[in-house]
Amino acid sequence: MSYSFKWSVLWSGQSGHWLLQGLLTTLELSALAWLLAVVLGILSGALRTVHFRPLRWLATSYVEFFRNVPLLVWMFFWYFGVPPLLPRGVQDWLFNHGAEFWAGMLALGVYHGARMSEVIRSGIQSIPRTQFEASLAMGLTTFQAYRLIILPVALRLIVPPATNESLNLLKNSSVALTISVAELTFQTRQIETYTAKAIEALTAGTLIYLVLCLSIATIMGRVERRFAIPGLIARVGPAA
Amino acid sequence: MKKTIAVVLMLAVVLAGGGPVLAQQDTLEKIKSTGMLTIGTRTGSPPFAYINKNNEWVGFTIDLVEMLVKPSVEKAVGKSIKIEKKESTPPTRIPLLTSNAVDLIAGTMTDTPQRRESVDFSLTFFYTGAQFLVKKGSAIKSINDIGGKRIAAQQGSTNAKIIREKYPQAQLREFPDQPAAFQALAQGQVDAYTNDGIQLFGLKAKAPSPNDWDVVGDFYSEEPYGMAMRKGDAKFKAAVDAGLKNGFESGKYFEIYDKWFGANGEVPYPMTPQVKAYLLKQVGK
Repeated sequence: MSYSFKWSVLWSGQSGHWLLQGLLTTLELSALAWLLAVVLGILSGALRTVHFRPLRWLATSYVEFFRNVPLLVWMFFWYFGVPPLLPRGVQDWLFNHGAEFWAGMLALGVYHGARMSEVIRSGIQSIPRTQFEASLAMGLTTFQAYRLIILPVALRLIVPPATNESLNLLKNSSVALTISVAELTFQTRQIETYTAKAIEALTAGTLIYLVLCLSIATIMGRVERRFAIPGLIARVGPAA
Repeated sequence: MKKTIAVVLMLAVVLAGGGPVLAQQDTLEKIKSTGMLTIGTRTGSPPFAYINKNNEWVGFTIDLVEMLVKPSVEKAVGKSIKIEKKESTPPTRIPLLTSNAVDLIAGTMTDTPQRRESVDFSLTFFYTGAQFLVKKGSAIKSINDIGGKRIAAQQGSTNAKIIREKYPQAQLREFPDQPAAFQALAQGQVDAYTNDGIQLFGLKAKAPSPNDWDVVGDFYSEEPYGMAMRKGDAKFKAAVDAGLKNGFESGKYFEIYDKWFGANGEVPYPMTPQVKAYLLKQVGK
């Protein structure tokens, strides 16, 4: 009367094909959402540190609004809440052309953008104020100072927490299955439906997520070493 | 990197070697020692199992457990027991069962040959087939009309599987639960929602304005509902079946059916003579 494992369900029938499809959808969804999150994060993270109060206020409201509502709610918001605001014809077109995927991408990207923003703000605020003042003294405009001096330094400082955030984003992409996006977790459930072998299917999904996340962490580790600013942070060995 | 690979391998070995750890105790023994029968059931599948307007967790299947299965299990363990209910959905119900989190799945689970490889089923307690729920006046009248249309189904259900395999020309959208699928139908994200006919009637009856909706099409699948148990637990299965059998024989089952599906029930769905004959055939009548 014990559970009998049957690992062959993972490569017999269509399982392998489904896992691959799920993996691709997860990667596609996460990559697009990540790009959106990074753009929104840099933008609002930078705006939260500028002098001009209305811009700061705008960025702060974005961050606080989007990071303090559960991701699941955002999924429903973009899928069920937004389309009724559009004309019927546009709605139908969207629903026939993967509205689920795009709603999931927006939910994930905008939500993680708000979280990424805080990471980037902390990077910016860790840079001595004098650097910004020195840039202005050199004749740069505020925009130039951010683009050429502040952000390039801040982005190098925040690689470890940004990696963390990126891994979270990848794993959170599974929430999109609630709005019918056939990503990796969805496909592992599908295998379970067909074979009634839940533990095997979940194990496969778990290992794929693990390998994905480890790969990302490794790549980001390289990026961190490659772009570390010599002298700014003592990464390894005794400080000079 | 070598270290990482070692960790992954170790984890794989631990997971694969998990077999013996999952060995299960006798369910009746467990019920006897805890005084509790834990069932996995639904919260949004009227009239089988749902939360009603008074915030009570009720339904036809829950009544079957309370009035037929419970006395029989009590007899088998020789003491009175309590029923504890937990939420279970199509994707979670078999894992809940195999991990001992629940002892009996009593919701709307179809008895299929594939599932029988992993779990045991009780006698069939309801018989239905898949149909479509559409807005009144929809162009979809049967399964022959779904080509190119957006069809919602429940993730992990037998209906989704049939649509995917036999009607690939339809655009299948799968949702984890009934409320999300119905929401998608109501808003036009999908053109029809397919599920077991009786569940669609239940949904229609509970909708804000039932007359806006139609259940259409002939049964395109056969869906005999059974209660699922861990595989190979003959004593527990015998107790559950005895309860249902007693219900069929004494007529108690048909009283409960009438309460939920009779003319004054939650979802009027009179039992056809064929279905009655099918159910009674199981107990040799």
